[in-house]
Amino acid sequence: MAAVTGEVSWFCCGSAWGPCASTGRGACGTCTSGNFQHAWPNTSAACLAITRPDVCGTSLSRRTCGFTHYTTNLCNGARVGTAIADCGPQTDLFCGERACCGSACGTNRIIDLTPAAYSAIASLSTGLRPCSVDTV
Amino acid sequence: MANTMDRRRLLSTAVLGGAGIAGATALGSLAPEAAFAAEPVKIAPGAPDPNFAEGRVTSITGSVVLLAGSDGALHRIQVTNGTSIWKFQPTTFDKLTKGDGMYVRGVRLPDGTLAADSLWANIVNLTAHIASVGRNVLYLDHHGKRLIGHVVPGTTAAVYNGTPAISDVSLLKVGGHVQVIGAWHPDTNEISIATVYAAN
Amino acid sequence: MLQSLAALQSLLVGVVLIWSARIKLLDRRVAGQVGNSALGTLLGPERAVPAYRLLGGVELLLGVALVLPPAPVAEPVAATALAAGFVGYLWYARRVAPGASCGCLSAKATPVTGRSIGRAGVLALAGLFGVAAGGTYWLPALTGAPAASVGLLLAEAALIVALSPEFDSGWLLPLRRLRVRLTSPLRGGSGVPLLASVQQLQLSAAYRQVAALLTSDVREHWLEESWRMVCYSARYQGRPATAVFAVPAAEVAPDRVRVALVDDSTGATLVSLADPAYAS
Repeated sequence: MAAVTGEVSWFCCGSAWGPCASTGRGACGTCTSGNFQHAWPNTSAACLAITRPDVCGTSLSRRTCGFTHYTTNLCNGARVGTAIADCGPQTDLFCGERACCGSACGTNRIIDLTPAAYSAIASLSTGLRPCSVDTV
Repeated sequence: MANTMDRRRLLSTAVLGGAGIAGATALGSLAPEAAFAAEPVKIAPGAPDPNFAEGRVTSITGSVVLLAGSDGALHRIQVTNGTSIWKFQPTTFDKLTKGDGMYVRGVRLPDGTLAADSLWANIVNLTAHIASVGRNVLYLDHHGKRLIGHVVPGTTAAVYNGTPAISDVSLLKVGGHVQVIGAWHPDTNEISIATVYAAN
Repeated sequence: MLQSLAALQSLLVGVVLIWSARIKLLDRRVAGQVGNSALGTLLGPERAVPAYRLLGGVELLLGVALVLPPAPVAEPVAATALAAGFVGYLWYARRVAPGASCGCLSAKATPVTGRSIGRAGVLALAGLFGVAAGGTYWLPALTGAPAASVGLLLAEAALIVALSPEFDSGWLLPLRRLRVRLTSPLRGGSGVPLLASVQQLQLSAAYRQVAALLTSDVREHWLEESWRMVCYSARYQGRPATAVFAVPAAEVAPDRVRVALVDDSTGATLVSLADPAYAS
């Protein structure tokens, strides 16, 4: 898979505090906020029917639970490897949205990292960063 | 307070102090390529990160915060002058209280203590849709659950489809989808909204 | 009079059932979503779709039988039993699979709420009322007292719609939007939010040069004349330092963003960067 550029955000899972309590362990049953994990919009046909990145013109490969993606924050070059633990983000809700750092931009939400993984490459308070995602 | 003012003056002078400013090109060692050679994160994908902790504050003693992780683990967090503290906005250590939920990133010391670089208290990031709007309040539908999001004029920022952040939240639409970065009010279904990202 | 109004209930319940069956049998989007509905959670995704279609078939048959003559009392009895079954299912689904979609009257994913349970309850009551008509067909009742009959049916239909979250976008959201337009309840501050300055500094060349040295989130910020100063912790050549950015407060000019790294222990300026064009 060639690197895909887009936007990265974060989400909590694993029955932690706050509104996260109801989230549970994600579609794969393994998701924990403190682990290096992520949600991917195409983990199954049922998942893709919800996230619909194709509506925004983004095609993402089918990858199942446990598959490793590497996400690079285009603002500072920091990179983190994470395993799939959930289905998401819902790309179609924010079609065409763009985040930039300098001349590096990403369009459409393609990946959500756990707080542990996101905070390793960006600040949680920023919420949204341009990124590139690859498999090696 | 005087210390804060002195420190701020020192920092302001360093960055704005006219004559001392070197051109970016004069500092070869900070060329983008060099700066971008960041150390890759070495944790195995899928594994827990020892330099990260999550949980709720059970006690605060001196500059040490004890956290009860949602997985049952206990974390000892050492906060220093260099720790950034976020609680709805960048704030100070004395604003943290027992019961706060928190994410901490830092460096795990040999004795198991986590020396905090960044600490985020009660931070939540959720996608929802706006069910209704009241006086500086958004009633949010979050996976079928109702959340009350308070807009704090002057602090809450709105980003409309990737445009620069502004303070004006009046362009938000009832029924519209939003992503909200906010601070949870512990043990309630209420949050204070720091940033709201609105979709088209 | 009461008996003829009771007879009308079969028409109401029949139409609602046919509407509901239409979604379950004909809407293609539903097949993809049933797995995520409460039914999918309770039965498993594989069995959910056939079960959903079967339910649609039963609803259609019963709905058509209620609307068309003859009108044996068994029809409203069956409809009441089905509606009572819905109440039980929804109540159970809400407990077992909170937040899962109802899959009731629309292809739209709508969570099971008190309203959907209330709606099934109204249908069950209407069915029960229909049983009281004792096998009278609805058409003579309608033609016998057209104004009262149409009024009652409209009122009941309005109640069903009001209890259906699926139809909110058709009437409730426009009403709330109108209220927002009239009262403008959202008033953000004026001023430039901190995030706007952070976004601007992240667009700057100065930030890209020191980004990898930063170790914390924003530590503090303040306004200084036309600048917003934003501080991060940093590590430079093994020494703890503070990265202080000066960001133009009132304009968007990432080229003008400056940064200095100040040694935390000595207060000495380690590095100071500005775009050469603006350095003087």
